[in-house]
Amino acid sequence: MLEDSLERGSKIEEIPKAEVIKEEINMQFGWYIFIFITIYYLSWLLAGFVFFLYFLIEFMPNVLQVSSFITIFTEPKSIISLLLMPLIVIACYVIRLISVAITTRIFWRITERISPSKDGVIPRNIRSKAADYYHLRSFMLKYGKNLFTKGMFPWLSNWFFNFVGSSKIGKGTTLEESVASDKFITVGNNTYMGVNATLASHLVQGIFGNIQYFRMHIGNNVTIGAMDQIGPGSDIMDGSYLLPLASTNRHSVLKGGNNYYFGIPLRKIFMKKTMNYLGLTEEDLEKNENLEAYLERNKEKVTRKEKKRKKNNEMKSVSSEANTTEIKEVQKEKIDVESLTKEDLSIDFTTSSAISRINIKFLLVYVPILWLAGLIISIFWYEYTKGAWNFSNQTNLIYSIFKNISTILFLPLAILIMIYLFILGVLIFSKLLLIFINLIHQPKEGIFLAEVRNPDYDFWMFRTELKKITLWLLRNSPVPWADFIALKWFGVNMDSSSHLYDAWCDVDFISIGRKVLIGQGATIMSSMVIGKYLIIKRVVFDDYVMVGGHTTIAPGTIMGHDSVIGAISSTTYKRILNPNYIYFGIPAIPLKENKYAEERRDLVVKRHVDESKKTEEIHEVNIDEDKKKFIKIGDGK
Amino acid sequence: MSIPNSMRVGPFLPTILVKKRYLIFYILIVWLSAIPLFIEFWVYYRFVWSSIRPIFFFIYLPLLLLPMYLTLAFSAMIWAKLILIFVNWSHSPREGVFLRHPSDKDYRYWSLRNTIKRWPFWVCHRFPFPFLDNVCFKVFNVKTKFSNSLFEGWVDTEFISFGKDVVCGQGAIIQSSVIIGNLLIIKKTIIEDDVRIGSHAIVMPGTHIGNKSVLAANSVTTVGQVLKDNWIYVGIPCKEFKRNWFFEDGLEDKLGVAEDINALLGKYEKIITKVRWTEGLTLKERKAIKRQQKEAEERRWELSKERDEENHEDVF
Repeated sequence: MLEDSLERGSKIEEIPKAEVIKEEINMQFGWYIFIFITIYYLSWLLAGFVFFLYFLIEFMPNVLQVSSFITIFTEPKSIISLLLMPLIVIACYVIRLISVAITTRIFWRITERISPSKDGVIPRNIRSKAADYYHLRSFMLKYGKNLFTKGMFPWLSNWFFNFVGSSKIGKGTTLEESVASDKFITVGNNTYMGVNATLASHLVQGIFGNIQYFRMHIGNNVTIGAMDQIGPGSDIMDGSYLLPLASTNRHSVLKGGNNYYFGIPLRKIFMKKTMNYLGLTEEDLEKNENLEAYLERNKEKVTRKEKKRKKNNEMKSVSSEANTTEIKEVQKEKIDVESLTKEDLSIDFTTSSAISRINIKFLLVYVPILWLAGLIISIFWYEYTKGAWNFSNQTNLIYSIFKNISTILFLPLAILIMIYLFILGVLIFSKLLLIFINLIHQPKEGIFLAEVRNPDYDFWMFRTELKKITLWLLRNSPVPWADFIALKWFGVNMDSSSHLYDAWCDVDFISIGRKVLIGQGATIMSSMVIGKYLIIKRVVFDDYVMVGGHTTIAPGTIMGHDSVIGAISSTTYKRILNPNYIYFGIPAIPLKENKYAEERRDLVVKRHVDESKKTEEIHEVNIDEDKKKFIKIGDGK
Repeated sequence: MSIPNSMRVGPFLPTILVKKRYLIFYILIVWLSAIPLFIEFWVYYRFVWSSIRPIFFFIYLPLLLLPMYLTLAFSAMIWAKLILIFVNWSHSPREGVFLRHPSDKDYRYWSLRNTIKRWPFWVCHRFPFPFLDNVCFKVFNVKTKFSNSLFEGWVDTEFISFGKDVVCGQGAIIQSSVIIGNLLIIKKTIIEDDVRIGSHAIVMPGTHIGNKSVLAANSVTTVGQVLKDNWIYVGIPCKEFKRNWFFEDGLEDKLGVAEDINALLGKYEKIITKVRWTEGLTLKERKAIKRQQKEAEERRWELSKERDEENHEDVF
């Protein structure tokens, strides 16, 4: 969405309104569930089998059934099986990761064979096979990606992407955890990508618009700072250094060659600014440019360098001390509240809504909720394993495995059922408590003092904490898009056609219409803490609204029908965004009318950032042959 | 409300692994920290298990899981801390500009420290209740208070200190080390009392944010920037926007809305682009700076020219 800032002047050739089709694109949830359950089932099968075999045959008789505490440590058999247990758990975890990768790879290959992923714009207002398979592929990657990048061994995630074949990642490259950098990208060697940086090879423009889906190239020795957004089709060549929060438009070409880029949308910055922003000296920059030459020179001067370092150390400690005293003391003076102007007090900036105090006393509420919910699943588990408890006493191992084969084979499904039974239990018990709390104190909109003992603030904190645990569990569960159930129960007006699972979202005072798409990492706040005050105001999204990734929506925002707000933008308190318009920026301003469905789809505008110029190219539209007549294409010159 | 799975980045440590053998430390800590769990389980099993009435075993099992998780977290912290003391004794962490190359000792040890701290932070950050993160920060010598809320964002785990009542927004990133090109910059970040950091804001290493200051959403500071007390900062990179009056009493009915969005945009743009570097300088100083700039540019130009020529030789 970002690139629209530069597209104000681009030509929009209108088609008469009757010709434009606006179909709602549906997700194939049947296929999603099938793929997910297969991946999930197979992942637990081998790992669970190995674990239980060890648990029942080694651990149970040698450790658990030993009656004296001291014997565990004196008996060699016991101590070995105790010490091996954590290693077995780690091994099972790795087995699980590998089986997820293998299953995902098989599914990926099958879909690639049916409808290969290729560059091009996928129209989002007409149903097509290309769009269906694009969605399917995005979905199947999600589980594995989250498991790898957010798991115990994030170092394996490069291997995962390469193995599945969704993208190519070079040697020595580190991709930090991020929102979306998974498919259709090639990354060179020795590249670093910061936290929350997004390599978005796909980009949705409006609910009835396009999906921009283009391969992305990133060269060797590139740095992409934290929270950078790289648009689809971008070509970032060797030795480009992007500072944090620099973002490209789509189809940007960065020439690299030891250049620094910064800003939204990003532009080249020169030496003085780089030194200013990064607090570097000219020597440091030289080092950065000619690393190898520097290293060779240094090999000869190791001893000298050591001495220098010691000196530098002393210098630096002095300088950092000087730095801390620099803040000028603002004198405390009594300010007459009446004298402040309207501009002084207008909320024309956006902050955040995270709670400032974490109360450990909330734990008292959680313990009964978690215990009651846990009771349900442990009884389920007891019933499930009733037959298998004499397992270790059987003399014939193969016979006993065969006898309990159904227990073993249904184990992954039992785990899945248990997870959701637990979440359901937590949901119901916290909802009951919530009803009770709301009877004591009705939630209401307004501006409140954010101090303990102010009932509005206290109860807001309490409600938030209470709802948090269920949402946390649902969003960490294998099917995170099920969180709309909890959101609905806790008071968000929405239906299952909208997706909020990739966004941070308040659960009070939010109304969401049909088919609303909230981008990855967006923040939707109906409450905001400014200084001493807590502001609560309803946020309303009408039907078919789209919110870009990493966008901040302030309380009181109202977005009209079919309107779009771009990535890395923010609205201010009580903003009203007109229907059918595209907004972008900090603060968001109207750019142009939302006419993605009427535009030409085959035109690609390449942006050369270093020379700051644009070129136009014609590119084929990625849609089924029989549906090509419905979309607008140029004369083919 | 709750941070989504995709956005919930953290543990608060970079995943860079300079040498593969650092993983040995990681697995060692995982292994050592898991053993107490099984001993705890043994105790529970001995006391509660009865083959005639196994149902009691299952009824209290959910209550056992909480202490088991806490045991895992605390033993992970203890083991990691012990190993970290040993590592820091052999090479103490320090600030400065280092090379992102395996031959640089500071870079290697930075990566090693992160690998060691990863497991306790991972366990604490996965815990649904955020107070464990605070304990973990305190164990690893980050100055912080329990009244701070830092868990919706991403916070570095060394060379950083917080005052009290700091609010870090959703998806905000507070760094004390950053990688740019072949350089690793480590500098101490100081955040004082009552600071509000907006969502998706980035605090770069070496930033000093004063009391009751606000860094607005989607803003970024520069390395070593000092933000004054009682001001609101906005922009990329951030500049002074207006005084922060929002800590005064009795403003409930007076807080207003920015109605004219174009005027507001003008105000933002003024901050972001129109501050001139020449302000407050004499003519001589300006000329001297310009000359320096020109020379630097020329040098740069020649360097890039040489490089281009070299590249051409490679091609042909």
